[in-house]
Amino acid sequence: MKSIIIGGGKIGYNLLKTLKERGYNVTLVEKDAETCRKIAEEINTDIICGDGTDISVLKDAGILNADIIAAVTGKDEENLVICQIAKKGFDISKSIARINNPKNIGMFRSLGVDQTVCSTEVIANLIEYEFDRDICKIVQTFDRGSMILVEITVNEGNRWLGHYVKDLVLPADCVIASILRADSAVFVRGDTQILLGDTIHMITNRSTFPEIKKLFHNGGMPYARQKK
Amino acid sequence: MFIVIVGCGKLGSTLSKDLSDAGHNITVIDRSAERLESLGSGFNGLSIKGVEYDSGVLREAGITQADYLLSLTNDDNLNITVSLVAKEIFKVPRIIARVNEPEKKSVYSLLGIDTINPTELISYIIKSKLEGGKK
Repeated sequence: MKSIIIGGGKIGYNLLKTLKERGYNVTLVEKDAETCRKIAEEINTDIICGDGTDISVLKDAGILNADIIAAVTGKDEENLVICQIAKKGFDISKSIARINNPKNIGMFRSLGVDQTVCSTEVIANLIEYEFDRDICKIVQTFDRGSMILVEITVNEGNRWLGHYVKDLVLPADCVIASILRADSAVFVRGDTQILLGDTIHMITNRSTFPEIKKLFHNGGMPYARQKK
Repeated sequence: MFIVIVGCGKLGSTLSKDLSDAGHNITVIDRSAERLESLGSGFNGLSIKGVEYDSGVLREAGITQADYLLSLTNDDNLNITVSLVAKEIFKVPRIIARVNEPEKKSVYSLLGIDTINPTELISYIIKSKLEGGKK
């Protein structure tokens, strides 16, 4: 599989390294000559020193037979233009853009760039996750919140403790995906009982999440009290 | 006419003042307050500081009512992004962007953005002056 990475910053560099290790055919495009030289010394791959928003540079990088393009520069407008060129000029089905400013997520989506990763948002979410001592927290967001993975810890005060899955009253837009029990996954059926120390994983969406949180507001009382 | 001008460099500010003096309704957007100040007190349009392609900023500039959007910054990617947002999201009837690097013109045309290319124009003018002077 032939892929092109545009932008040789920290994200581009590490992505290049990972893809190389997995045996992909990768070409890197980077503007800064000094950065190019440094990466070339370390990684044996095709590196093109040039502007990734220039069609002739992209052609040099082999865009004509590329399968994936990853635009991971530090400028959102640059990443957007690269994805637009890839989509409209070369009919590349998979182009992924890095978004630096979360405010721009909506713009990328409206302009038809569907595969995006907002580095700032990911990091902010990870930090928020660490801060969040609630028993109910978001672990992973898919497709900008239309689907989220929620983790629920079962402590002594959890209202679901000892219940069978079939007896739980759940909001409409959610499903229990699995339970982690003593480091192995339990694949949930109706007759699965929820035990102390379980970690429940639920798939839901952003709009239903507050409902689930509310569900555990009282159920998670011992934990909530500690927080204060 | 109601015209939104993006980029308040030499070209943007000169054109804003000219069009405003000619009686058009002008809003200028630039991320630098300093550059917006260069418009001076004589300019009687609206100036807005902010990220040029941000939907909120563009809405504040009145883009939904604009007859024209001119994207005149010295950064091609910025001009392309602004033009795409104006075209696809706000459906501005007429959009013209400034080309900075002549080789980037192909990107603008690929994405269906109308352009003016100052470098090309100036070199054409100089060339015709030179050749005109020969006779």
